[in-house]
Amino acid sequence: MSLVLILIPLLSFVAALLSLLPLGKKFPLIITLLSGIGAFVLALLEVWRVIAEQRVVAIPGWVELDGLSAVLLLLVAFLTATAALFSWGYVGAHVQQLPRVRSYCAHFNLFTFSLLLVPILAQPALVWIAIEFTSLFSVLLVAFDNTHAALEAAWKYIALMFMGAAIALLGFFVLFWAQQKAGGGHYSWEGLRVVAAQMPPILVKTAFLLILVGLGAKVGFVPLHTWLPDAHSQAPSPVCALLSGIKTTNSLYCILRLVPLLTGDHLQTWMQIVGLISVGVAAFLLLQVRDYKRLFAYSTVEHMGIIFVAAGFGVGGNYSALLQMIGHSLTKSFCFYAAGLALLVLGTREIAAVRGLIRTSPFAGAMLLLAALAIGGAPPFAVFLSELSILHAGLEGKDYVTISLLVIFITVAFFGILLQVNRMVFGEPSIQPTGDHKKLPFACVLTLIIAAIPVLGLGFYQPASLHALLDLAASQLAPITPP
Amino acid sequence: MDDPTTINWLQSLNALTGGLFLLATFGLVAMRQVNACLRLFIALSIFLSVSAFLLSAIYHNWHLIVVGVVDLVTKAIIIPWLLRRALRDEVYTRREITQVLNIPTSLLAALGLTVAAYILSTPLLAIGDGVTVGLNLPIGLSGLLIGGLTAAVRREAVPLFLGLLAMENSAFFAGIGVAPEMPLIAEVSIAFDVVILVFIVSVLTHAVHEHIGTTEVGELTMLKEETKS
Amino acid sequence: MLNRIIFNLIQVVVVLLFAPLVSGVLTRLKEMVQSKRGPSIFQPYRDLWKLFHKDEVISDESSWIFRFTPYLVFVVPIFVTLLIPVLTTYPLFFAFMGDMLAGGFVLSLGGFFAVLAAVDTGNPYGPMGASRTRMVSFLAEPVFMIVFFTVSFVAGSTIPYIVQQHWVTPLTNFFEPSHVLLMLAFLMLILAEGGRIPVDNPTGHFELAMIDESKSLEYSGRGFALVKWGGYMKFFVLLCIYLNVLVTPWGLAQEQTLGAVLMAIPLVLLKILCFILVLVVIESSLSKLRLFRISEFLGAAFITSVAAMITRLFAF
Repeated sequence: MSLVLILIPLLSFVAALLSLLPLGKKFPLIITLLSGIGAFVLALLEVWRVIAEQRVVAIPGWVELDGLSAVLLLLVAFLTATAALFSWGYVGAHVQQLPRVRSYCAHFNLFTFSLLLVPILAQPALVWIAIEFTSLFSVLLVAFDNTHAALEAAWKYIALMFMGAAIALLGFFVLFWAQQKAGGGHYSWEGLRVVAAQMPPILVKTAFLLILVGLGAKVGFVPLHTWLPDAHSQAPSPVCALLSGIKTTNSLYCILRLVPLLTGDHLQTWMQIVGLISVGVAAFLLLQVRDYKRLFAYSTVEHMGIIFVAAGFGVGGNYSALLQMIGHSLTKSFCFYAAGLALLVLGTREIAAVRGLIRTSPFAGAMLLLAALAIGGAPPFAVFLSELSILHAGLEGKDYVTISLLVIFITVAFFGILLQVNRMVFGEPSIQPTGDHKKLPFACVLTLIIAAIPVLGLGFYQPASLHALLDLAASQLAPITPP
Repeated sequence: MDDPTTINWLQSLNALTGGLFLLATFGLVAMRQVNACLRLFIALSIFLSVSAFLLSAIYHNWHLIVVGVVDLVTKAIIIPWLLRRALRDEVYTRREITQVLNIPTSLLAALGLTVAAYILSTPLLAIGDGVTVGLNLPIGLSGLLIGGLTAAVRREAVPLFLGLLAMENSAFFAGIGVAPEMPLIAEVSIAFDVVILVFIVSVLTHAVHEHIGTTEVGELTMLKEETKS
Repeated sequence: MLNRIIFNLIQVVVVLLFAPLVSGVLTRLKEMVQSKRGPSIFQPYRDLWKLFHKDEVISDESSWIFRFTPYLVFVVPIFVTLLIPVLTTYPLFFAFMGDMLAGGFVLSLGGFFAVLAAVDTGNPYGPMGASRTRMVSFLAEPVFMIVFFTVSFVAGSTIPYIVQQHWVTPLTNFFEPSHVLLMLAFLMLILAEGGRIPVDNPTGHFELAMIDESKSLEYSGRGFALVKWGGYMKFFVLLCIYLNVLVTPWGLAQEQTLGAVLMAIPLVLLKILCFILVLVVIESSLSKLRLFRISEFLGAAFITSVAAMITRLFAF
């Protein structure tokens, strides 16, 4: 029984409370950074234990960590640490009034607290509550700028989030009912797997459908994605990184947990269809954005679709889906850090107003270009490897139509992103930043370098322990009752 | 306490509560005043609590009594108080609510959704055992859909939000009939989660009112992809 | 056999005699609520007596419809009285002549001719009110139909006497959600068809806003008396259907003796009095709806009745 697991989110919660103390501008930021680093270190320790022992249990049936949640916990913790570091520089440069700094840090810590709760909880109803908390605590962060656009984005965000949450709640109730019908047992992910074979299929299917629609709204599946570009672009950049990088992945994790419980021949086809619709629509909508943060937000929708399609390729696809999940989270946060840095330098989000960033600020321009290449799927970055393995899994499963469509959509998205970013980065400089803007906060620069390491590194080399962890997680996504 | 006539009476009363619950969700679509919407929401929460109490008597499950009490306190007392306190002007001065569809059309749409909910529940109820399940699930599902309709159709902030809260109430209504043995901590936390939600939304609406000047959130359509000429 | 014919006739006499009283009591109570003294509860009788002794003035431009309608409007509620349970729980002689649908159609026959007669004279306010009456009626028709269908589906028959049995025993049937929703829908219907607030102002004299009153604008003397009396009786009949079949199906004569039937009369009047109290509260606390919102009101009634039907159809 390891209570370290409970400590991880508690660090963030305590940091949230401490951030409210009026002890100067730096104090809340330092607290946030310390809690982020602390959470990351502890998470790393726990994940090592999972690789060794297959699962870590704090409170049996309530707080557990197995392979799949270990992957997620690692991602959340890493992103928390880097976002905290980036916040130090970003908030220091962007926000002047002290109460707002405290408010930002308090909300930020509450947000990371809820994000860290999702992987470690094992009771589905509590996971629902944790996912709800991630939405709730990020609403005021999305509205942080208090501009017309930000408030509109926050309102749309909360409305659609809660709608999805209510639908998913019914789904979890029906799932509980199905488990009771199958003979009871503890209502946890593990408990559901144990009785999966006896649960009445129609109840499980209904629960899955409700949860897919409800949590799918939170993931950003088309047609419930309308809030995503707004919310993920209006929020401050470190928050955007967390939202796009890990919050949508949290909800997707929840949906993927239910996939092994289902039986049926057409399940995989349906998953591929749902995923492909998201990828296609996002890829084509990418082409006409005018705001570079929205560009990255649409790319999130696209990648969520890719992960879902990969999970729909059967047993072989699960590993690549997880690899894509990791690659996307790391790369997307890197993208938003780069975009945040560019925003600090330029002061505007519009693509059409920006030219020649590489001359104005070489570091920001280079990072933005790298980010665009990375998220588009160019070699030698991590996303390229994971997309390649997805294609491989698809070919093995003989899903030729899906593969060809996927390739087309990914190419369209790649061109869309690169076109816009190229226009921004190269050419004659159109905006000359004034003195304050020209100096890039050191913390932001450091974050970008730290974030770039895994993005680049995972394209070349995959540590054996990571491979073992991914194998463990992939085995949990495999269906329990073979169709 | 276990004899069939008492159970029969309790089930009939539960059926009555369910019918009134359904009527209240229809009322949410039909009402034009913000104050009336709020009162209907309070009525909805009271019906939910009453049903929880009745079901706890039928199933002999004391969890549901706690659920009923918590629901009564949070949704019938705390949430209206929070909304009224934070949004005093908006809740009291708005008389007419604008909406995308006119009221008779939205009422007909709500009717269609209720029929759909009943049809969708029929295969599920073939597995269920007991009249209470057969009642709570379709009514909860139709309340869910009708709440979604309300949230999609209304343009004003507070009635839109009340539609969302009604969705959650209906999900709960179905849940207590379908899954009465859900661990207590989950159900209580869900109730408190809603309180936090209301608090945050009232802060947000206040900010919208301050910075934009109106709470007609249907008019907020600035963010979209338009090709510039 | 002879008993049943006599009891049927007693029912008709009760409706004839007590309909104006109901209207008188309602008016008096409304005035009392407004802190006024109000007319005596027997004033409608005096009005009818006075009108029967006055001359009639009939426009040259009007046709036979205008002359024929007062008699029709007077007779139609009497027809319906023969079909519905007013005093007894067992079917009487004419009870199987027509069911609830037939009763509804006969009532609307009276309304149809009243509307035609309002248009007949060439008075500009008549057709205005007539078109509004038609609007309210056609919006109320689906509600009538659905309510009757649901009630028949529940009870397994369309004869009011048999329907009424269903709600009396066992008592738990009374609390079915479909029953409560039906009561609510029918109440809204009565408010619409009876021309009460919030649909129409029965005491209004402003011709531009009249809905129900407009059909008696042109009548005088005996014709006016018959139209008024017919209106009172139609309201009484609607109340009987509502109270004796849906809301309080108790207190009606169980045995087939004259004494039991006569005992039922004060009980029925008591039930109507209680309902009038509720009606007074409704009328005094709401205001008249704007015309375009009447469709919303009746739409809500329609939805309520369909919801009743759905909860009944899918009840497990």
